[in-house]
Amino acid sequence: MKAIYKVQGGKLIKVDLTLENNKIKKINITGDFFCHPEEKFEQIEKRLKDTTFEKGFILKKINEVVHQHQLTLVGVSSQDLAETISQAK
Amino acid sequence: MILRVLKLQAYPAAMNMAIDEALIESIGKGESPPTLRCYTWKPSAVSIGYFQSLQEEVDLQACKQKNVEIVRRITGGGAVFHDQELTYSIILPDSLVPKDILASYQFLCQALVNTFQKLGLHAQFVPINDILITNQKISGNAQTRRNNCVLQHGTILLDIDVDTMFSLLKVPDEKMKGKIISHIKERVTSIHNQLKRRINSEEIVSILINEFANLLNLSFQEGVLTDKELKRAEELKRIKYLNNDWTGKK
Repeated sequence: MKAIYKVQGGKLIKVDLTLENNKIKKINITGDFFCHPEEKFEQIEKRLKDTTFEKGFILKKINEVVHQHQLTLVGVSSQDLAETISQAK
Repeated sequence: MILRVLKLQAYPAAMNMAIDEALIESIGKGESPPTLRCYTWKPSAVSIGYFQSLQEEVDLQACKQKNVEIVRRITGGGAVFHDQELTYSIILPDSLVPKDILASYQFLCQALVNTFQKLGLHAQFVPINDILITNQKISGNAQTRRNNCVLQHGTILLDIDVDTMFSLLKVPDEKMKGKIISHIKERVTSIHNQLKRRINSEEIVSILINEFANLLNLSFQEGVLTDKELKRAEELKRIKYLNNDWTGKK
C-alpha cells in the first residue's frame, strides 16, 4: 500500500507499507523533508510496527517518538506524516 | 576565531560527502576552526536526501550510462543533479547561528543572497531552504546538526540542463513527466540565465568567502584539510559513501 502527499509550503512524503490484520507490519517513509537528528527518524518506523491502521493511533505513536527522541521535523509535521500513512491504499 | 577557507576543488561524489562529514566531526570535537569549502563534482553526480528512496528518485541505469555518480547525503532535502554548479559547505559551532533551524537557514543563506546581490542579482531567501530570483530557484540548501555543530551545504546553479536532469531523476508520476519538466524549466534559473554571460567560479567563491566572513564576523584564512580530516574522509568514503548499505538504505 502506498501514499504520497505534498505538504502545502512544505515537503513531499511518500509511504510504502504492508498491513496484516489491520496492523502495520512493515513501513518505509521517504521524502525530501528534514528531521533532526536524522538517524532517529527510523525510530518512528520501528514504533509504528504493529500499530492499528488508524490515524489517531498512528499519530499517537509518532508523537511519542518525537518527544522521546526530541526530534525536530522540518517541512513536515507529525500530523502530516500520520495523515499520509493513514491514506495509504 | 577564524574562518578556515578550503580551496575550490573538484571531487567524486563519495569524497565530497565524506569530506563534509569528516569536517563536522573534527569541528565538533574542537580540533578545527569553522570552515567554508567550495567544491564541484567530477564526474557529475546525483545526490539524494537522507530520507529519500534511491530506487524511487534515481534512474540507476541512466546514471550508469551517462557516467553520473550517485551518493546519499547526511542531510535531508531533495535529489540534486550536480553538474554545472558550484557547491558550498559551511561547518561551524551551533553557537554561531540561531538555535531555531528555520532561522538558521535564513541567517546562513544571507551570505548567498548578498553574494548574488554583489553579482547584480536581486535574490531572496524563501523558506524553508531556497534562494529565488524573481520566483525562480537558483540555490537549494540543506542542514544537519551534530556534535554541537551545524553543517549547511547548498548549490549555486551556474547553468542548468533540465532535460538531462530528468533523464536521471524519476518523478512521482511518469505520465506527468512532460508537465513536470515544463514546470521546473519555468521555476529554476541559473547565474548564466540571469547574467547572460558565463562567470568564473573563482569570482563567485571569492565573493562568497567575504560574505560568509562578514556574516559570521570572523576573519578568514586559507587552509587545507588536516591529515586527520583527510584520513577520516578517505575512511568514510570507503566504508560509508561507496557502500550500498548507505546509498540504498531507503
